[in-house]
Amino acid sequence: MNDRNNPQKPFSRRSFIQTAAMTAATLALPGCSRNEKPVLTTLTGDFDPLRSYPYRGWEDFYRKIWTWDKVVRSTHSANCTGSCSWNVYVRNGVMVREEQAADYPRINAELPDYNPRGCQKGGCFTEYVYSPQRLRYPLIRTGERGEGKWRRATWDEALTMVAEKLLDNIYNYGPDTNSFFSVIPAMSPVSFCAGSRLAHYIGGVFLSFYDWYCDLPPGEPLTWGVQTEACECADWFNSKYIVLWGSNISQTRIPDAHFAYEARYNGAKLVCISPDYNSSAIHADLYFRINPGTDAILALGVAKLLIDRNLIDAPYVKEQTDLPLLVLPGTKRFLRESDLKNGGKEDIFYFWDTKQQRAVPTPGSMGSEQKTIQLNGADPALTGTFQVQLAHGNTAEVTTVFELLKKEIAGYTVDRVAERTGLPPNEIELFAKELGTRKPAMIIHGAGTNHWFHNDLSNRSLILLVALTGNTGKNGGGFNHYVGQERIWPEQGFFKLAFPETRKKQRFQNTTLWSYVHSTNKDPHLYNGKPIEWYIQESVKNGWMPLWPKNGRKPRAFVVWRANYLNQAKGNEILESSLWKDLDLIVDINYRMDTTALYSDVVLPAASYYEKVDINSTDCHSYIHPFGKACEPLFESKTDWDIFHALAEKMAEVATRKNLKPFHDDAFDWTRDFTQLAHDWTGKGAIQTDEQAVDFLLGNAEETKGMTYKQIQEKPKRFIATDPESWNSDIEEGVAYTPFKHQLEKKRPWRTLTGRQQFYIDHPWYIELGEALPTFKEPVAEKYPLYWNTPHGRWSIHSTWRDHRAMLRLQRGGPIVYMHPDDARKRGLQDNDWVRIHNEVGHCVCRLQILPGEQPGRVTMYHGWEKYLGFKEGGWQSLTYIKIKPTQLIGKYGHVNFRLNYWGPTGNNRDIKVEVEKAKV
Amino acid sequence: MSKHQYAMVMDLNKCLGCQTCTIACKKLWTDRDGTGYMYWNNVETRPGLGYPRQWDRIGGGWKDGSLQPSPLPTMDDYGHAWEYNYEQRLYEGKKQPVMPSPEPKSGCNWDEDVGGMNEDENYFFYLPRICNHCTHPACLEACPRKAIYKREEDGIVVIDQDRCQGYRYCIKACPYKKIYFNEVTGKSEKCIFCYPRLEKGQVNACAAQCPGRLRFVGLLDDPESPVHKLVLVHKIALPLFPEKGTQPNVFYVPPFNPPKRENYGNSIQEDPRVPLDYLIYLFGPQVKDVMVRLEAELKKTQEGGRSEALQLLIGRDAETRFHVRPEFVQIQL
Repeated sequence: MNDRNNPQKPFSRRSFIQTAAMTAATLALPGCSRNEKPVLTTLTGDFDPLRSYPYRGWEDFYRKIWTWDKVVRSTHSANCTGSCSWNVYVRNGVMVREEQAADYPRINAELPDYNPRGCQKGGCFTEYVYSPQRLRYPLIRTGERGEGKWRRATWDEALTMVAEKLLDNIYNYGPDTNSFFSVIPAMSPVSFCAGSRLAHYIGGVFLSFYDWYCDLPPGEPLTWGVQTEACECADWFNSKYIVLWGSNISQTRIPDAHFAYEARYNGAKLVCISPDYNSSAIHADLYFRINPGTDAILALGVAKLLIDRNLIDAPYVKEQTDLPLLVLPGTKRFLRESDLKNGGKEDIFYFWDTKQQRAVPTPGSMGSEQKTIQLNGADPALTGTFQVQLAHGNTAEVTTVFELLKKEIAGYTVDRVAERTGLPPNEIELFAKELGTRKPAMIIHGAGTNHWFHNDLSNRSLILLVALTGNTGKNGGGFNHYVGQERIWPEQGFFKLAFPETRKKQRFQNTTLWSYVHSTNKDPHLYNGKPIEWYIQESVKNGWMPLWPKNGRKPRAFVVWRANYLNQAKGNEILESSLWKDLDLIVDINYRMDTTALYSDVVLPAASYYEKVDINSTDCHSYIHPFGKACEPLFESKTDWDIFHALAEKMAEVATRKNLKPFHDDAFDWTRDFTQLAHDWTGKGAIQTDEQAVDFLLGNAEETKGMTYKQIQEKPKRFIATDPESWNSDIEEGVAYTPFKHQLEKKRPWRTLTGRQQFYIDHPWYIELGEALPTFKEPVAEKYPLYWNTPHGRWSIHSTWRDHRAMLRLQRGGPIVYMHPDDARKRGLQDNDWVRIHNEVGHCVCRLQILPGEQPGRVTMYHGWEKYLGFKEGGWQSLTYIKIKPTQLIGKYGHVNFRLNYWGPTGNNRDIKVEVEKAKV
Repeated sequence: MSKHQYAMVMDLNKCLGCQTCTIACKKLWTDRDGTGYMYWNNVETRPGLGYPRQWDRIGGGWKDGSLQPSPLPTMDDYGHAWEYNYEQRLYEGKKQPVMPSPEPKSGCNWDEDVGGMNEDENYFFYLPRICNHCTHPACLEACPRKAIYKREEDGIVVIDQDRCQGYRYCIKACPYKKIYFNEVTGKSEKCIFCYPRLEKGQVNACAAQCPGRLRFVGLLDDPESPVHKLVLVHKIALPLFPEKGTQPNVFYVPPFNPPKRENYGNSIQEDPRVPLDYLIYLFGPQVKDVMVRLEAELKKTQEGGRSEALQLLIGRDAETRFHVRPEFVQIQL
């Protein structure tokens, strides 16, 4: 290898942990040429090694391997939702291995504990730290983007280049041309906030991630008015009926899956609903090999069975859901106070009280004076039609949402559902019966279902099942969605650190929309006869969704950290040829050379997970624990906190040198003096170090008040309380956390327009598109024969660990696509063949594995493969493009308003089809 | 015979196939020169090729008091430890994608999740494997150097890394093919049941780090230990290939799979997804009784009752799953 061409070298240390390549490649191991059975008469001593052995001094050989000088607690920041506390073992200044700290405190004696939390990927992160992919020095691109030609730069040079460009953009093109992308604060909020604070003080656009990656279940904001709320995983053990719906917990919830399998030994039954017979299905009591994209019809068919067989929890439904609310069938809108009284409110709704035989305002809606949903003796009718007198004097017939629902799902008979889903009718009926009778029952929901175009409809249909059966808000019950580590427990403290002048003074942007509009992505489908562009225009015009930069300008600078935007983007080849070309500066801050870094202009080397101070939390458990410095940042890397601090200082220096006048940002009436940027960024000097940032965050949140970084270094700590602003249940001593106890037990209104779990959305677009109620719609797919399924898998967390040698050796060494034997036979394909996967968007070339558990008519490639590894051509995103669902563009409807990562169009990716053929290689 | 015997039980109904055990072991013990291809602990999908390929069919073990012949597995049978040239693509401006070398044609986990077909339905389960630390180890008998011994205090079988000459008779003799040749040191190596950890009161890395929490460790002769209870009291854990005659000290709770299509509600004994013959092949004829017992326990608990055996398999905490007794097994050397 020519080291002179490699800016990562000279690098005098030997490549760590390099194992010798085995030379006897395909031959039998040499030696051992004697007979099979050795001659035991030629023994080397008079002893019987079965009983005792005289030469045991050598045993220290292995004892010495298990030694270390130092142990430091840390964790990983890969958005796995694991949030696992690890000990890193350091010997001679080298991080040699890691092992789960396994010291999460127990919730109670009955519940299994959380130890040991971790997986195989966390167990070999140390190899990344010293790998060739590890970024060692600031690099500046010398070739084309993505070519891999660099020169090594000093920090000063690299930061100056970035600082000057960001400032030029602000003064010449507007602050909204600087865009910032980083994901998932919960996995390392200090690193996240380092950059978000800079974006905040320079007026940059902060991009979303949870909706863009389609991990947001839009049915939750629609039905519950929340982002995502799930029980912590220990609560699975409290269940008597667990339905794994599109969630392969054995692969994607490795640290938590035991709770489900242990619950089974404690009396739960386990159902697995998935198109492929997978590593979670093998442990189920009932396996449903469902046709892809048909989850909603199964759920609605089961809802019909629950209703028909009277397996619903009527008191729960009457109090907690909008099913008893009255609707005017003519307009298909809720009956509102404004219909009944002149000057009446738009956000007061009615049910029919069977006791008083009249329409009564429902307590707890957005316009209600009552801040409770307590019925106070009323008995809302679920069924029937009623007469009400409208404000202008006419009477009108009204009916309930429940009646409309029954009508909506009347066609979902067992036979029709069985036919469409491919499931046996008798088992669908058994499933409905058990779901209605085994209590508590929960759905564990995953990306397998959520990544479809009509994810909002399937979410709402599934949530309906656990509402009808009265399971939501109870330990061991509910609809629990786990995709992405989106929820940060000490949320209010995080907001203060991330956006110090409040979120109102921050430009936020949904990334799905941004990526679609600022690229040549084109969805050819029509929705109700109109292209998506029409809906986008309307949405932006109505102020439902923001679109930065404004007025048709293009983004000019793009700063990415803690993320791999380009590799993970739907239609990344389309983005590369359009959005990417419009960007003048792409900066990537990273500890490893991922695809986005490779396609950047400036790469800044960041500290790895074992070289920094930060904290970590997840919805999967109720503890907080830290990152720690097992070593100081290696080579010339710096922590994210120090990098953005240095960038703020550099920008202030450039502003001073160029004598830049303060910039008046009209959008917020904010005069920004960039010569003071470092002063602002550090909170006027109060938060200089990452440890101070941690303590600031912890101290400003109800969940962690009184905790310090030093304390949580000793042991993970359980949250002490929940902020009612952010959460819907209390943290209770000795009880696993599950959401919505405030609603169920304290009768606090749901965070929706109606104050109830809202299954009826009477927004005009929902009514027009036939989605006011949960319904089933066919996937929006193309003319190709095979679904292109790119799920989360066990071998990577998104793209992290995709290029990791120890992980690759336990797979087939590179990307593979799985195909059912019948589909392979039809195409004349053999196992391990090179295949070309293609559709109207693009193609890639990789190897095939024949997998009998795969569903015919579908091929699977576990997602996240780096574009530069293992593909002869293209990549797994070469076949995808961005498709926006119109109903997810709405806003200003009660509880449904744009909010970063809470509400905005999802970047779905399952409704894609391909063909596969033998590749010419 | 050793004075005591450490043993392990693995509950296959809790295994995730995640290979955390594999990595825990690898990072601790085989992250050295010459060990790249070796996995003292591996997890394989069953039915399947296994690691090394076809290890269960090529020979070794005892028959009528004699060691059985076996070829040595080839490197293709183990699978190569692929190397990757990242630098040329990432830093040196060359266009070749990063590719594994040598070209992948086999691997230690090559047929992950493939399994078998029972009529038109797929079935599979994961089988984690370590050295069985047998009571009658064929490897020990086969070694012409007498460099393999059973530690008298705890029954752990180890290969003396000083005295081993690398003849590899042990590799042939082991019916589980759980001994590996280190080409750099010229010695054979294998799972050491983490004796350095056990000596300090810490359980094996594969067990300590298993997030599926399916491993139970203790002395087989300690009535308080979970392995004693699962193997000898509840009688729900069986060794692999008992007919090979080595008397393994690693035991498995045999696997269920869900019923076949349209069979939900019927007994797993009627037309099971995993053919009983295959389980008998792996665990011997006793597996029939164990499956009946396990299903009855599961049914009882799912109908609201309580099963002592399953309560133990829940393994709520490390104290339940592991009984490591360094003070008990210590001897004066």
